[in-house]
Order: sequence, then structure tokens, then C-alpha cells
Amino acid sequence: MNLDWLDAFLISGLFSVVVIVGLGLLLHLQLGLTRIANFGVVGFFGIGMYSFGVLFTKVDWPFGDFWAFLISLAFGTFVAGLSGLLVGWLIADLDEDGVLVGTLGFATAVAILATTEDGLTGGARGLGGLRFPYDVGSVKADEFLWLIIVSIVVALILLYVWWVHRTPYGRLLIGIGGNEPLARSLGKPAFRAKLWLFAVGSAGMGLLGALFGVMERFLAPENLGIDVTLAAMVALVIGGTARAWGAVIGGFLVIGFFDIIVQSYLPFPREWYGQAIPNIKQIVFGAVLITVLLFRPLGILGDMRRDKLMRRVHGG
Amino acid sequence: MVDDTQVATVTRPQIQIQNAVKSFNGRVVVDIDNLTLGDHPIEGLIGPNGAGKTTLMRMIMHSTPLDSGTITLSNANGDRDVVISDLPTHWMAPHGVVKSNQVIMDFDKLTILDSMLLAVAKHRYEQPHRILAEKSVYDANVARIHEYMEFFDLGDPYRFAGSAGEKKLLDIIRCLLLDPKFLLLDEPTAGLPEDLTEKVMETIRDLAAAGTSVVVVEHDLNVIWNLSDDVHFMAEGNVVMHGSPQEIRENKTVIEKYLGEGHV
Amino acid sequence: MLDFISDSIVIGLTEHAPLILAAIGFALLYRLTGLINVAYSETITLGAYFGMWVNTTFDLNFYTVLIPAGLLAGVISVGTYFAIFRPAKMLNVGGLEMIIISFGLSIVLRHALQFVFGYPVRFFEVPPPDTIRVLGVGVGSFRILAVASVAVLALILYLFIQKSSFGLQIRALASDEDLAQASGIRPLFVTVLIWFIAGIAGGMAGAFYGVSSSVAPLLGWRQFLFIFLVVVVGGRKGLGGVIITGALTGIALAAMTLQFGQVLYAQLALIVAFVVLLKWRSKRAAETVKV
Repeated sequence: MNLDWLDAFLISGLFSVVVIVGLGLLLHLQLGLTRIANFGVVGFFGIGMYSFGVLFTKVDWPFGDFWAFLISLAFGTFVAGLSGLLVGWLIADLDEDGVLVGTLGFATAVAILATTEDGLTGGARGLGGLRFPYDVGSVKADEFLWLIIVSIVVALILLYVWWVHRTPYGRLLIGIGGNEPLARSLGKPAFRAKLWLFAVGSAGMGLLGALFGVMERFLAPENLGIDVTLAAMVALVIGGTARAWGAVIGGFLVIGFFDIIVQSYLPFPREWYGQAIPNIKQIVFGAVLITVLLFRPLGILGDMRRDKLMRRVHGG
Repeated sequence: MVDDTQVATVTRPQIQIQNAVKSFNGRVVVDIDNLTLGDHPIEGLIGPNGAGKTTLMRMIMHSTPLDSGTITLSNANGDRDVVISDLPTHWMAPHGVVKSNQVIMDFDKLTILDSMLLAVAKHRYEQPHRILAEKSVYDANVARIHEYMEFFDLGDPYRFAGSAGEKKLLDIIRCLLLDPKFLLLDEPTAGLPEDLTEKVMETIRDLAAAGTSVVVVEHDLNVIWNLSDDVHFMAEGNVVMHGSPQEIRENKTVIEKYLGEGHV
Repeated sequence: MLDFISDSIVIGLTEHAPLILAAIGFALLYRLTGLINVAYSETITLGAYFGMWVNTTFDLNFYTVLIPAGLLAGVISVGTYFAIFRPAKMLNVGGLEMIIISFGLSIVLRHALQFVFGYPVRFFEVPPPDTIRVLGVGVGSFRILAVASVAVLALILYLFIQKSSFGLQIRALASDEDLAQASGIRPLFVTVLIWFIAGIAGGMAGAFYGVSSSVAPLLGWRQFLFIFLVVVVGGRKGLGGVIITGALTGIALAAMTLQFGQVLYAQLALIVAFVVLLKWRSKRAAETVKV
């Protein structure tokens, strides 16, 4: 396969956009529909990444790379989902400050464990040895194929999230987010619903973390900073927290602008790319959050339109 | 007077309240030794402001937990009694105990149709993996929903509830859709226009005739006198008397404490 | 065993004294304005940077530096109120959105200050502290100073909030804004005062953190979770509760660090313990809702 037309930076830029969009989509179910501000996105992302990486690299697998890879991937997803269940149980009946403390605390705990358990994770030195479950010739071709695979996964997440708006489950989440006491008086088990929401959302985040780790090939605690949570939140908020397509639009707009256009196509001096541009990127992200929430809290796409949706789904 | 044994056999769902106490910041709001609701198809609950009517209803729904005491639901059809004061709020509706709200409660982002579908959807359809359940839920309930939509003349179901009255009505319809065995209505007609009040009362009568026990808290006493088979009068956190609407209406204490001289 | 306890207490109080101070400032904002201000972590960081800057530029000793560091952080704190939080309140931004806004502000400040103060880690220029032995544990003089200052400042703030007439106004404003306004309290002035005092407390805490190690952009953020935990868990009983919880947290951190030999494990255990405590408390709390 001739990939000369394809810039290596474009692959990595698109890859980070796609992963952040995936996280933003899952966050949409929690923040946009159910109104739970999960500040621990990177924790679930990270626990999936490390569970996958540790199992894949530390076990002496008796069979081929491909199956070892898939099993490890499933394991990473499962561990992240389980931790989501645990965190969900801890915070589902707490108020906003409790949720902030719990999710932030979980993300911190994951970063701490990635550092301290260096027998497993390589500690601050990091964990190498991750590789693609295939070899199609060149590094570039491998990465390109991986980008396509992960894009398909994120597209499936988008399909699920989009579809949830059209299910009784989505209605339940919106109901709990809008008026939890009323939902409970109608017999809706809000606590259990939040628990499963966290389990499923976290499993998805963990899967994305594992897929991300493969592309990185090297896992280090630096991957577990708050900037991952920030990026997912920014993508979702600017696109529209309440809309299924919000994270997609916001992700391509903001993350795409920095990780693709600024990274590859704008003529900034080389030395800026080391520290100045990442720094500016974070400042812009923060400023975007503030500005959008002050002046257009529901982002570009605005509020969900159940009136149109219901008419479309049930005729009339 | 409270301890009435005229209807000894359970013929419809009843709620027994025993030694139920609730206080806020040291002030006792409700203190009831023994009270049975549901001896009659429709019972009114009246009393001066601050008598504890709304608190009592919230205690039954367990959205306000009791300081002490028990509340038990006994079913008409021979099912086992349920101590509902041990259960969380969201178990009330599955047991058939449902309450409409005094203040306006609504889901801002849900349409009228949504709101009703949310009320009727069984929880097994509301799981993350049930992505194809919408059609089953809709098909199973659309007939009933349309019946209510038409009866109350709500028009387009794909829009959001607009006025306060519409939201109030929607709140009541959601309760009706839950097929209550025991329905608590907290000022159901406040804010409703007269024709709708009539329709709500008509629906409640039909429901009661079909076997549901109804308890109504209402400030509009005409509704109480028209609707109730039996009236409980509450004052200072306790039910101090009960009797037929006629008896209560003519009782001296009630007149002094609540109705005022010129009212009757 | 006795050694272990006394070591834990001495190390815990001296090393984590700034935590108590920072928690007092955060608690003022949280309790009195109802705001969870994530950007408070940058008030702390800025205090450290200002202190370092004054210290290295004007060659002032650390004791003198504390005052401008606190005041500058206080001014910035008031500035964020006028630039972000006051407009947000006027625009009727919801509670959840307010948290995310403060998170955004935290990110902006954290990275903006790197343009002002540069990327490399910076240090205070102070003579190496004398080591003083307390109950058999060697403690640097700055840390003794930190404990003393925190004790004095905490006492002043406590008296100010709980006893003075300003404090009365502040608490009145927190409990009922309309009523407070009706009884002649100037809400804007009092609110600004709260933000200023909170900023001073955070800035001074930052200077103490900075002088005992280094000054870096993540200085405040690294402490934020613990400050927040202390305030959420201890804040119910007023400032006294925050101070006691902060002190106990410091001691627990020190004890577990001694026990596990690794500060990260101590932090981990503390996070778990606090979150479980919150969960347990919420189970017991009356679930009074409006249905």
C-alpha cells in the first residue's frame, strides 16, 4: 500500500481527535443526559489502558498475538467497567461536590497506582512492549490501519449514543437528569440506573484507553493527566452537551484545530511546538469552556429537541 | 373516632399508619398514633395550613423518611402486607402507591408523550442494552395514552407542556398511567380550569369505583364535599376527627379551626 | 509506638500546615458563597509564584514575602470574582456549569502563568532553614514558622468570621441573601471581602508550599483534591471543623507515609477513606426531597 500522500502527523492528529470524540460521546450520556459531571474520565481511560497493557505484556501467552491481544482488550474494558460500577456506587447518591470529589479522587488514585506499582506498570519509567496485533508492512501503514479500526469503534459508539436518544433508556436518563425526585416517585430506580450508566460508560472509556495505548506503544503516568478529561469535556461542551453529535462536532473543531491544523499546517516557528503551543492549547481549552458555558451553555447545537425527535420516531 | 371498625374486612387497598412521627428542627410536624386510610373509596384529608397534610403524604411515599413508626400497605386481593416505610421512594410505584404533587413538577426536556411513556415504561425496558425496546413500550401503551390525551383535550403530544395547569394535569395523568392501587392526590385541582377540574374528578371517581383507594388533599372544599366518601380532619400533626363530609362540615371544632363562621 | 505517634503528629502538623490554611480559604468560599471553585488551586499556585518573584527580585526574606504574596493572591482572587463568577451568577449559570467554568478558569490560569514566569521549575532564594528538634524529630525552621503562622492566621480568621461584626454580616449573607440585604448589609462589599480573604489564605498557603519544596504550575492542583476533601468532610461544623479535619488529615498522611514508606500510598488510602466516609454519611442523611 502506497501511503506517501498521507502525512504521519495527520494520522496521529486524527487519531487523537477520534479518541477524544469517543470519550466525549460517552461523557455526553453522563453529563448531557443525566447531568452527572464526571471529572474522572481520564481515570477510567487510564485504568483500561494499563489493565490492557499489563496483561498483554506481562503474561507469557501460550497462543498467538492476536488472541492475546483480544483477551487483554476485553480485560481492560472489563476492569474499567468494574471500576465504573464501584465509583458509580460511591457517588450515585451524592450531590455535585460529592461527584466531583469522587471522580477526581478516582482519577488521582489511578495515576497514583500507575506510579507506585512499578513491578506491573513500570512506574514512572513507563511500560513498553505494546504493539499492533498485525503487521501490514510499514509503521505508517500499521498506524493508518489502527486509525481506521479505532474510527470504526468510535463510529459504533456514536451509533449507540445516537440510538440511546430513541430508547426508553435514554428517556430514563433524561428524566433522572431533569428531575430525579420526580423520576423516583414514578418508580424509577435512579441509583441503579446511574450505577449501570457509570459501568457502561466507564467500560467504553477503558476500551478507548486500551486502543489509545496501542497507538502510543508506551504507557507512562504522564498519559493520565487532567488534560484528557479536559479535552473530552471541551469537545462535548462546545459542540453541545445535550446532543448526540455534540462531541463529534466539538471534537473535530477544537481538538482537530490544534492537533491537526496547528500541528501540521500553520507556519509557527519550530521551537514553539515544544512548550508554547501545548500551553496555548490548554489556555484556549479553558477559555472555551468558560465562554461557551457563560454565553451559550448548550454549545453549537443547542438543546435537545425531543419534540422533533418524538414526531420523527412515532409519526404524526 | 379515628379507630373506626365499621369496615372490618379489607375490601380495597389500605394504608395503616402507626406511631408515625416526623419533626423538622425539633418541631413535631406529624405525630399519628394510628390511622387507616382506604376504608372508603375516596377519602378527603383537610386541615388548616401547617397541619402536616403534605408531610404525611410525603411520609407515605417515603420521600420524607419517618423519625419513627411504620406505614403498611395491605392489598385487597390477598397479597401480603408490605411495610412501605422500610422501602425507598422508587418502590412505591411498583407497589401501586402513587402520589401527585402539590407544586408543579415536570421534566423540562421531555415532551408530553415522552413524559407519559417514561411513566408507563417497565424498568426492564430501561436498561442500557435494550436499544430496540422503544417500539414495544410505545405499542403497548399508545392506546391508553391517546385515550387520556383525548379525554383531557391535550392536543399535540409531541410538544412540551406549556402552562402551569397543563403541567399539573400531566402530573396527574402520569400517576393514572401507573395503574395505582392507592392514589394520593395533593391539591389536584389547584391551578386547573373548571372544566378540567370536572374531568379530573370524573376520572378519580371511575378509578375509585374500579377498586383504587384515593386520598385527596385539597384546599377547595367543594371538591372535597363533592368527591369524598369520608373526610379526615387534620390539625397540629394529627388526625383529630373523621366522618362523612356532612358530619365534618357541621362539626363545631372544624368550623372554628378551619372553615370560619361564615363559610357553611 | 509512642515515637511513631509523636513523629506522626510533629511531621503531620509541620508538613501539612499549609493544607489547613488553604482549606480555611476554600471553605470560606464554599460555605459562604456556595461555590466549588476549582480555580482556587491556582490561587495557591499564584501565591507561591508571587512569593518567589518578590523574594528573588527584591531580595526580601521569606517572612516579609508572605505579605505581598498573600495580598497579590487576594487581589487576583477578587479579580476572578469580577471577571468570571459575578457575571456567571448574573447570567444565572447552573451549579453544575459553574463547577465546569471554575475548572476552565483553573486551566487558563495554570497555563497562563507559565508565560509570565517561564516553564522551568523555580525556587525561593532563602538560606537553608535551621533544623530544630521537636519531640525528637528534626523540623526545618520554615515549617515551624508555617505552623505558627497557620495557627495565628487561622485564629484571626476564626475570630473574624465567628466573632466580629463583619463576620456576622458574612454569615448573614450566606444564610439568606435577601434578608441580609434588607437588614442593611452590602452584599457586594461583603462578597468581595470573602474572596479577598480566601485569596490571602490560599496565597500564603502557596508561599509555604513553595518555600518548602519548589514552585511549579501544578503546585496548587496537586493539593486541590485534599483541600476539597478536607472541606467537604469537615466543613459541616464550620471553620472549626475544617481546621480539625485539616490537622487530622495532615497527621494521618504523615503516619501512613511513615508506615507505608511511600507518600503516594498514604494519599491513596486517604482518598479512599474520605470518599467512603462521604458515601456512608449520605446513606445516613435524611433524603428529604420535594415530592
